Amino acid sequence: MNYPVWFLPETGGGIFIALISILHVFVSYFAVGGGLYLIYAEKKGLREQSQPILDFTKKHARFFLLVTMVFGSISGVGIWFIIALVNPAATSLLIHNFVFGWAAEWVFFTVEIAAAFVYYYTFGKMDSKAHLQVGWLYFIAAWMSLLLINGIIGVMLTPGSWSENMDFWAGFFNPSFFPSLVFRTFIALMIAACYGYLSAAFTADEEVRLAMTRFSAKWALITLAAAIAAGFWYLSVLPTEPYGLVMGKSPTIAAVLPWLTSGLLGFLLIMLGAGILRPNRNLKPVASLAMICALLVMGGFEWTREAARRPYVINEVMYSNSILKKDVEAVNQNGYLRTALWVQNRDVSEDNLVEAGRELFEHQCYACHTVGGRNNDIVRATSSMSYRALVNYIQKIHEVRYFMPPFVGTELESRALAAFIAGGLHGKDVQESQEPAGSTGKGLDLFEENCSSCHAVEELTGAFDGLDTTEIIGMLTSLNEISDEMEPFAGSQEQQEQLAVFLSGGGEQEVQQEVINGKDVFGTHCTVCHGMPDMERKMAGRERKEIFAMLGKLEQLQRAMPPFRGTPQEREALADYLDSINQGGQ
Amino acid sequence: MDQLFIPQPDTIPVGWAWFQFLLLLTFPLHLLAMNAMLGGLAIGIVQHMGGSTLQKQLAHRIAIALPLVIAFVVNFGVAPLLFVQVLYGQFLYSSSVLMGTFWILIIPVLIIAYYSAYFYDFRFTQLGSAGPWIAVVAFSLLVVIGFFFSNNMLLMAMPSQFGEYFSHKGGTLLSFGQPSFWPRFLHMLLGALAIGGLFVALLGRFGKSANPDLTSHAERVGLRSFLVLTSGNVLIGFWYLLSLPREQMLLFMGGNMGATSSFGIALLLAAGALLTAYKKRFWLAFSHAIGLVVVMTFMRSWLRSGYLKDVYTLDQLQVVPQYSPMIFFFVTLLAGIVCLIWLVKKTAAAIGVERKRDERDMSID
Repeated sequence: MNYPVWFLPETGGGIFIALISILHVFVSYFAVGGGLYLIYAEKKGLREQSQPILDFTKKHARFFLLVTMVFGSISGVGIWFIIALVNPAATSLLIHNFVFGWAAEWVFFTVEIAAAFVYYYTFGKMDSKAHLQVGWLYFIAAWMSLLLINGIIGVMLTPGSWSENMDFWAGFFNPSFFPSLVFRTFIALMIAACYGYLSAAFTADEEVRLAMTRFSAKWALITLAAAIAAGFWYLSVLPTEPYGLVMGKSPTIAAVLPWLTSGLLGFLLIMLGAGILRPNRNLKPVASLAMICALLVMGGFEWTREAARRPYVINEVMYSNSILKKDVEAVNQNGYLRTALWVQNRDVSEDNLVEAGRELFEHQCYACHTVGGRNNDIVRATSSMSYRALVNYIQKIHEVRYFMPPFVGTELESRALAAFIAGGLHGKDVQESQEPAGSTGKGLDLFEENCSSCHAVEELTGAFDGLDTTEIIGMLTSLNEISDEMEPFAGSQEQQEQLAVFLSGGGEQEVQQEVINGKDVFGTHCTVCHGMPDMERKMAGRERKEIFAMLGKLEQLQRAMPPFRGTPQEREALADYLDSINQGGQ
Repeated sequence: MDQLFIPQPDTIPVGWAWFQFLLLLTFPLHLLAMNAMLGGLAIGIVQHMGGSTLQKQLAHRIAIALPLVIAFVVNFGVAPLLFVQVLYGQFLYSSSVLMGTFWILIIPVLIIAYYSAYFYDFRFTQLGSAGPWIAVVAFSLLVVIGFFFSNNMLLMAMPSQFGEYFSHKGGTLLSFGQPSFWPRFLHMLLGALAIGGLFVALLGRFGKSANPDLTSHAERVGLRSFLVLTSGNVLIGFWYLLSLPREQMLLFMGGNMGATSSFGIALLLAAGALLTAYKKRFWLAFSHAIGLVVVMTFMRSWLRSGYLKDVYTLDQLQVVPQYSPMIFFFVTLLAGIVCLIWLVKKTAAAIGVERKRDERDMSID
């Protein structure tokens, strides 16, 4: 609220952060672990008096220089640039608080660069003892960079007492400092071994290729085992909420876990099979696959760590949308738009409801949601929600879904945001009701209030087939047993019954009859291309069920047809309408 | 007056003067390295296209040094960017968002330029006549980065432009329409090319005994470039001064003693650098030029304060004191300098041993 929002509706800033960070971390860990790998590879060459191994090491050092000095260091600056663009408030807070930590990290970065250049350009020209010392200096400087960054970014996940006192050292040595440092050190060594494995695959000398493949695979497996152990230690120090998110309550993390697991298994199998047991299988495609697996592991970890902070960008201090937790109460009283700096609609009224809502969306939701983009698209996420459902949902969003920040602002502002989403994005009626959802006490209200943010009606109808209301109530009160992402329905006994009746099937008709007219939906979505005689012919002899299914795959029926873009309720209504044509009525 | 959009700054752990000191200490390092990179590369391109053996040798030497120089341009840029964010974050973060789409483009552009520089270095001979064109690509990309930086540094000092955010939410606002933009940018660019001349002369001095012809060629080319470009840049400097808003211009003409003194010293240093370059006194010209770059950073600082003085002064920053992290940083800095000296000594020793070996081999032959 203190800074402008860089607004790229269809892309979102988060995707840039993810892209740059994951690629940077994959290279920067190589920059740390690779230093130690080079030292031990050189020592191996010296010990075995093998010039080919020393040549391999020098060639690997050149590859190391090109990857880490160029891509690694510039993408590191890139992270700084992108976080300052996407979340300037959080960046500013961390920069001002930890400026001397960053400055010290810069010193180590300088030593790192100088040592890396000296190491590569004096390879074979400096006496080996001094050359190895240069290698050690490089590694120590690089590891110190890791240590410093680990302290500063660790505070974002586990701030500990820093969130109260903002003390540099309390933040730096935060609760996850040591487990995270040990974990990252082993991951860095593992990644370095993977890069070594890749270099080995590109080595023409068969003997060196086999020797360095096995050498790299041993490194990789030992450090992977150590990293997994450290990972459990890391997990054990997480506070309750982030721990819960990592363990399944966050859909973002749940989505990435299969990738992480596949990467881990793939990496393990390649290093064992085509590293230790059959090093001659280390061919270029195999090594490239190992790199992809390592990237998946790395990316999965970074993704998880980022998502585990939700709904905060700095845990317990600043929400993902840059609102400070300590400011929430005051802003709720005074209004967000009157408090924020970079807004045009300071006062909300019925006349500017949608425009004010647009600004609220940009400031409070856009940090995680795109508009019509691939990443967390708000249009898709809210397609089944009415204005009334949105109003209610927004007001208790954080309680329903912990990983989403609370809406901050007045009650009228929350209506404005709902009006923008329902009216501005979906074109739905926002004047339909000024009374809050649930006030009528009907099942539909309760459904919209409690379920529609995640579920469409027709998704659930099948789930309750054959169940009586008592059984449905039983399910509603133990939703957490069905999924970690859900909380048990907390309504009164009467509300439980109303919702259960609605879900058992009766309510579905209520939706269609009360809200949507299938003929209107036909007029909006179909009449551009289809006339009534045409439709009568096409629908002849078809069951309603079949018609409903067809509406879900129009683009497959005929390539020229776009997919049906209406809401699930509209689809139901349209299916009813088309079925009624078939029955002879219109 | 229209509404100004200036965010609240965060608190700082020690007095603002420490950060100003560190900013003025580290920024000249970045500028000198940047000048060596840009000016060195430009001269390298001209030399490479020249055709004579000496010219090609000089171009090759520049090409070898270039990746190392770029690494230090970036590295020496990190510290001042950090300290300027501490002092002027509320302006710099805002202006960066306002031109966000261009600002983030710096990263891929720099990566391409950097890899081009390595390609030019590692494939210098094999590339043949295509080599200079690779270098031209790298040079052009680096100038584009300079253009974006100039835009942001000017934009951050003009919060009255921030209201244009509402018509540039996608981060597409630039400040090159301001009257002082082009003289400012050209002054920096020409200055970089001129100081790059001195870098080339310095580069020629390495291995003087092995190739004295290259040394004198590099010195001749470098000093001449410096002389010609700096003479031109004095004129552009005056254009820049006159293009400033009147209030800021007067800072250097008696309005502020520090700014005016710096300007006077800068003029004297420029005259000294030109005279000594004309007389081919390399080290004197070099030291004058370094002094000039340092004083110019002071002038920039006054100018920025002048632009912002109606809305912000550094003493408005609130201090929540905590000195131990700063002590930790200074200890680290000291240790880092010791490590760098050790590295230089070890490298010099290794080069010395290699040179002796080469001389011995040549005498045996």
